[in-house]
Amino acid sequence: MTDIQTDEKGASNPATSSAAEKEKETPSTSPAEKNKPPNYKRISDDDIYRHSSQYRMWSYTREQLQEKRIDTNARAVAYIEENLLKFREAHDLAEEEMKVLEAKAIPLTMEEELNLVNFYAKKVQVIAQHLNLPTEVVATSISFFRRFFLENSVMQIDPKSIVHTTIFLACKSENYFISVDSFAQKAKSNRESILKFEFKLLESLKFSLLNHHPYKPLHGFFLDIQNILYGKVDLNYMGQIYDRCKKRISGALLSDVVYFYTPPQITLAALLIEDEALVTRYLEMKFPNVEGIQEPEAKNMTKEAQNDTSKTEKDKKQNTKDEKSSIDAVKLLAVIRECKDLIEEPNPLSTEDAKRIAAKNYYCQNPSSLVQKLKRKMNEDTSTAEKRQKI
Amino acid sequence: MEYTKEKKVGEGTYAVVYLGSQHSTGRKIAVKEIKTSEFKDGLDMSAIREVKYLQEMQHPNVIELVDIFMAYDNLNLVLEFLPTDLEVVIKDKSILFTPADIKAWMLMTLRGVYHCHRNFILHRDLKPNNLLFSPDGQIKVADFGLARAIPSPHEILTSNVVTRWYRAPELLFGAKHYTSAIDIWSVGVIFAELMLRIPYLPGQNDVDQMEVTFRALGTPTDRDWPEVSSFMTYNKLQIYPPPSRDELRKRFIAASEYALNFMCGMLTMNPQKRLTAVQCLESDYFKELPPPSDPSTIKIRS
Repeated sequence: MTDIQTDEKGASNPATSSAAEKEKETPSTSPAEKNKPPNYKRISDDDIYRHSSQYRMWSYTREQLQEKRIDTNARAVAYIEENLLKFREAHDLAEEEMKVLEAKAIPLTMEEELNLVNFYAKKVQVIAQHLNLPTEVVATSISFFRRFFLENSVMQIDPKSIVHTTIFLACKSENYFISVDSFAQKAKSNRESILKFEFKLLESLKFSLLNHHPYKPLHGFFLDIQNILYGKVDLNYMGQIYDRCKKRISGALLSDVVYFYTPPQITLAALLIEDEALVTRYLEMKFPNVEGIQEPEAKNMTKEAQNDTSKTEKDKKQNTKDEKSSIDAVKLLAVIRECKDLIEEPNPLSTEDAKRIAAKNYYCQNPSSLVQKLKRKMNEDTSTAEKRQKI
Repeated sequence: MEYTKEKKVGEGTYAVVYLGSQHSTGRKIAVKEIKTSEFKDGLDMSAIREVKYLQEMQHPNVIELVDIFMAYDNLNLVLEFLPTDLEVVIKDKSILFTPADIKAWMLMTLRGVYHCHRNFILHRDLKPNNLLFSPDGQIKVADFGLARAIPSPHEILTSNVVTRWYRAPELLFGAKHYTSAIDIWSVGVIFAELMLRIPYLPGQNDVDQMEVTFRALGTPTDRDWPEVSSFMTYNKLQIYPPPSRDELRKRFIAASEYALNFMCGMLTMNPQKRLTAVQCLESDYFKELPPPSDPSTIKIRS
């Protein structure tokens, strides 16, 4: 954290960072440059992002995420099994009944939990969209919901009971206030059930509420691509790409990419899905590879750029200066391709499968209902048998 | 319990503040207990904003959120202990401070404000009362109950923000769009107040605030702020000329020319022409003599 704390005077403001500001950095226009200490480094937007709670608390490697889920699942399984044991001990069960319990009262696996969470996360999205909430509120609702179930198991808190809570808290957190009564009315719910788990939700979110979604970077890239590839892209076409990417992003928010990649990376991956050539070209012009490890084709592209108008030339130089140490188009593309593959991975859970998992979830928490069901069935069997005898 | 609440020091609309200490370290802390039961809409918006934005910021000039915990259905924010604030210091006439002290405070305030802005956060309630002092004299920007994300251009905002005396002209006009420039205006008014040691633009009510503001600094015109006259309330305004340099020199006797430039840069009517936090930090005012005082040596207790 010290890097952010110790910097002051010169750091660039990401909100207003512009060509004019970049100009200041070139030695010819800035005498102040000379007075800077040798280890002087500006705080980059990446540095700022690394300090965000989204990065500090909710970004993982694949192994870390897996571990977290295994852990949450294991804790719930232990709890469920303890309850099942208590239930068996407390009731004098017949052999048939024991058999049913053994077959059906089984805690969910980590994969089943994940599938169920993702199934309901999709529901959160559909409901929030149905309530006509702004894109960012919908995105935050999904994010809250999925994060909640990294900390809690569906075997301990029913995902259904938290759906409206997450949407309602997302509204407030995104500064889109709706009173709980009108929210309840619109969502066909009631205030008690909406507010019941609000604290629990906030606590599970580790009080980290600020979400960075890929929609803002999408707008940024949309503008920057038109700037960098000025005269080479059609405005209407870019508009279409923008809309399609927005949909891709909304889909990606339902997957684990949000834990592995930064919002701009996810955006670039969505762009890559829509128009690979465009993105490759943009990135190579934006971050020309100075070491020259590029493929021959890409090299030509850069040469072409060098013959371009002086404006692009200047931009390019600045970019080289700014970014050559940190961003390499080839490396960046490799990361984005990985991200893209993950976005495109199908999420195949059908409603039937979801119902099956939900039922399993119910029975492992309510073994008595299994026993009762069995008793009812046996009674029915006997009564039909009796009927038959009478005939 | 990791934290003790020893003394109640304040009560606001949505929170009670206690002084206490952290058990494991003995560190003095303040606990802001959010009264959750009082709100029919669940967690209060101010509490949500405060939690949301403080979580994102770690900076020597922004109040530190040490921890958050729940107890008896109440939300408790554990904040660093900050014994006094700039309002108290300005009002306490037994405390003397020098231009170098003011410069140190402005520098710290602007570093904190800049840190908010580069995190895309608008504070929206900067005033002496919300600039707190740590025991070693560091200024800490505090109270994020009105903060919000820097809006995208199409978002419609409420102009009913910022305590009246520190409210930028675009807010007085009821603008539905505004930027981080509103925070800079507040800092400009605070700077003037530090030099005068009385509030610079003390409007009695919202209408009077416009009168006071424009009488002191001139009514903006379309020439320096294109289309300012299209604000609904503009027609009713008395048109005052902007103050001459000499008038400003007379009002701010101790201010250097650079200090006046710096103040006028922050108190520019047109928000687009107003200094940004970066421009403020890079201004000549901070480069000329005297250098800012060492914060820990400034006497802020009488």
